[in-house]
Amino acid sequence: MIQLTNIEKYYANKGVKNYVLRLVTTTINQGEFVSIMGPSGAGKSTLLNIIGMLEEPTYGTYHFMGEDVTSLSERKRIELYRNHIGFVFQAYHLIDEMTVYENIEAPLLYKKVGSAERASRIADLLDRFNIVAKKDLFPNQLSGGQQQLVGIARALAAQPSIILADEPTGNLQSAQAEEIMSLFKKLNEEEGITIIQVTHSEKNAQYGNRILHIADGVVKEDVAVLS
Amino acid sequence: MFKLNLKIALRNLWKNKTSSFINVIGLAIGLAACLMLLLYVTYEWNFDKQAKEAANVYTTMTNIEGDNRKISGTFEGSVTAFGPAIKAALPEVMYTARMDYGKENLIANGTNAFKRKSKFAETDIFKMYDYEFIQGNAKTALNNPNSILLTESTAKLLFGSTDVLNKVVRFKDKYDLNITAVIRDQAENSSNRFDYLMPWSFYESIDESAKSINWSNYSYVTLVRLKENADLAAVNKKIMGVIKNNTRDDFQTQALFPLSKLHLYGKFEDGKSIGGAIEQIYLFVGLAFGILLIACINFMNMATAKSEKRAKEVGIKKTIGANRTSLIIQFLTESMVLTFIAVIIAIALLELSLPAFNHLLNINLGISYFNAASWTGILAIVLATGLIAGSYPAFYLSSFNPVQTLKRKIGSKGQWSVSLRQVLVVGQFCFAIILIVATLVIYRQIQYIKNRPVGFDINALVEIPQDGQLKGKYELFKNELLQSGAVSAIFQSSVSLSHHGSNFMDVAWEGMTKPTNTVLFNQVATTYDFIKTNGIKLTDGRDFSKNFASDSVGVLVSASAVKVFGYKNAVGKTMSAFGDKYHIIGVFDDYVWDSPYKSNNPMVVFFDPRRTGYITMRLNETNSLQSNIETIIKITKGINPAFPVEVKFLNNLYLEKYNAEKTLGILSNLFGGLAIFVSCLGLFGLVAYSAEQRTKEFGVRKVLGASVANLMQLLSLSFLKMIAVAVVIAIPVSYYAMGKWLIKFEFHTHISWWIMPVAAVGTLLMALITVSFQAYKTAKANPVDALKYE
Repeated sequence: MIQLTNIEKYYANKGVKNYVLRLVTTTINQGEFVSIMGPSGAGKSTLLNIIGMLEEPTYGTYHFMGEDVTSLSERKRIELYRNHIGFVFQAYHLIDEMTVYENIEAPLLYKKVGSAERASRIADLLDRFNIVAKKDLFPNQLSGGQQQLVGIARALAAQPSIILADEPTGNLQSAQAEEIMSLFKKLNEEEGITIIQVTHSEKNAQYGNRILHIADGVVKEDVAVLS
Repeated sequence: MFKLNLKIALRNLWKNKTSSFINVIGLAIGLAACLMLLLYVTYEWNFDKQAKEAANVYTTMTNIEGDNRKISGTFEGSVTAFGPAIKAALPEVMYTARMDYGKENLIANGTNAFKRKSKFAETDIFKMYDYEFIQGNAKTALNNPNSILLTESTAKLLFGSTDVLNKVVRFKDKYDLNITAVIRDQAENSSNRFDYLMPWSFYESIDESAKSINWSNYSYVTLVRLKENADLAAVNKKIMGVIKNNTRDDFQTQALFPLSKLHLYGKFEDGKSIGGAIEQIYLFVGLAFGILLIACINFMNMATAKSEKRAKEVGIKKTIGANRTSLIIQFLTESMVLTFIAVIIAIALLELSLPAFNHLLNINLGISYFNAASWTGILAIVLATGLIAGSYPAFYLSSFNPVQTLKRKIGSKGQWSVSLRQVLVVGQFCFAIILIVATLVIYRQIQYIKNRPVGFDINALVEIPQDGQLKGKYELFKNELLQSGAVSAIFQSSVSLSHHGSNFMDVAWEGMTKPTNTVLFNQVATTYDFIKTNGIKLTDGRDFSKNFASDSVGVLVSASAVKVFGYKNAVGKTMSAFGDKYHIIGVFDDYVWDSPYKSNNPMVVFFDPRRTGYITMRLNETNSLQSNIETIIKITKGINPAFPVEVKFLNNLYLEKYNAEKTLGILSNLFGGLAIFVSCLGLFGLVAYSAEQRTKEFGVRKVLGASVANLMQLLSLSFLKMIAVAVVIAIPVSYYAMGKWLIKFEFHTHISWWIMPVAAVGTLLMALITVSFQAYKTAKANPVDALKYE
């Protein structure tokens, strides 16, 4: 599904190149649950951003679902966001001016899903995540864990084939974090959604089935998780 | 999607109350000002354009020959022979209608008598105007010489109803006329308005000069309707031929000019229109859109200042599948919602302020002046405003890169956007300062002209029109008044002391070098006590006197007339006018009689008791004003009972001369004030926002020991710097522009040195108050609150 070949990323500053990523080559298949780990500044988030097409690599090629997406027009990229990729952020990044319901509805509107279909999908998600009672509240009226649930519901609304999560539990207490991680595991196992997450926590990484260890922009280890 | 955008736009408005208030109020004021000025412009623009055939209707202009075959003056007027002559000769001419200029004349139903504007016209006037007949019709209305057509309000005034067909009214207390038609009142922005209309055939029977078909008396108006798409230049060329065939003139004394252009393009030089009131229209349109632009700039500035907050939203939306178009649409929706709220408030404001505005300008505008087309125009303005106000934020914000915004890394764009914001603020205040300077200079100019001596003491002078019995029984009237002690002196004259020119050129004098005179002279005819009453300064000779029987061929001349004649000792010398010889018996100083802004034509005062017009009186100042006026009214009523008494004060008549410039003064005052207010509103918003953003920084600084003064300085200085830049740019611009305005006047003041500093300091002060109010509030806040905030 995802094929990275010799990905490099550096920032040139007064002629000196500061490398963030060096020669990263890896393949992620449909249905995998991959955790990217490593110390601060190792390049984890940059790698995830490149996978999510939020940043472009300086060198190297990137194939997404068999298509070369190394440098993609904005129009095509948005097309991929609408149909295949869901994002989950550490800071939730819900839209403050929208209610829970509207936040989940937004990607469907952009995807131009019909209103009946929209209503049933949102009802389904609200139900699944036990947040039906909260659908008319605004993000600032929810706890962090609840906000992240909404964030995930929003990411799932468009029925993506892959979810990219940047430290999804970084701002949460451990009980809430566990809830979110089991949810991811369930989504991965039951619905076959590919999940790539960046995390600091060894414990969270155990929920997945593969771990990429990165240090100084280089993939040091690529190990499978034994369950 | 649209519904959600709308909902979010409203939520955003509600959440950010201060900035919404500033935006909505600013835009509402801007729109209201804009609509009001456009209302005024629409009114002026549609002058004489109401009739279906308006585009094909022309009026006749008279050109006056000056030196070197140039045309020295042009006015609306024609001779009686002109209309019939061109109708016979030119195939392009469909209809012609001769009219008089119209005059306030007495019209009465029994004892119910009023002075209202009369007009005489030929029947083809109905082919030029689409009068709406309530009673009667165009075919029969003016056929009979003793018929009369009333307007609706005149009929109601005289009879209390419009059902007045075949009733009789009395004109000038002399002629009984039969009402043949009643029409709806004409539009106010129409040059040829009347309260009642009578046939030309009737005019011919009561006025000799109207009856005689001649090519020399330019005292009438001739309207001409040409065939559709007629070539005006070609028609005027043919008219020249007609003039050559009938007169000895070898230049175009008469020419057609579009009636609908006369009001706005009525200034002529060398026989060609060179503009006129249209310049003011352009100015007002500029002013209207300037104020609206200031309000739009406020909106843009507030929106971009908030960009950091909005950037996150943009980033998120982009990652869940929003493209740029949908974001642009969202931001534009927001600005449109705001503009629509603003326009509703603006229309309410307009309705509230229109009466006051009408009162100030002495006009009668209503929103109803806007027709369907203007409403479409308003809608277009609203849409354009929404677009302009929303476009910059929409395109700017939607261009953000999601990763940068989500990482809160939008520093790099800062340099550019901040400088644009500064440019906009500087632009706003430039405009405001220019308006302040303009207001001050216009005010000074009006004061200067007002303070210019008129040439005599106008304060105790009153005049009444010499109607009806006052013509024949003037001597009786004079004696009764002088005996009553209400007035100390009195004279009759052909025109009021404050009059427009009654010009003539048929003048010759001793030792004249040119074959014919090319200088326009102004004529006044009077009897005894002219100088005694008005108190104009006599520099040589004497007033008309009963002691000299020869005074019937004597004249008084103005100092400027003596200058034209080139006489050293004018008294005792002669001059001739209209072929008759006159002795100069006195010379008086020029006084202000027509426009106070330029020097008036040389003047000759004849002695002629037959040419009546006005009676001017000097009140006896030992009595109270009220008792004097009451005595005058009583005596006038006694001698001339059929006419209402209209006593006019000369000082009021002179005040009316400043109206055009007063209008300009009021408008620049009003809209200058609004421009500054809206600019300050925007500045307030920017400071408030910048203070909010820097709350934490201020908290830290305070903990580190910064004083309130330090913090205020920190927040205010950058804003005040922008105002200072605006001052530096605006002062020379306004100095130049107002200098140009002033030299249009022959008599003008100079731009005083203090005007510029006053405008600059005034603006700075106002900005300082705006800024420091917010700065003080922020600086005084408890640092703990600020530090807890994040």
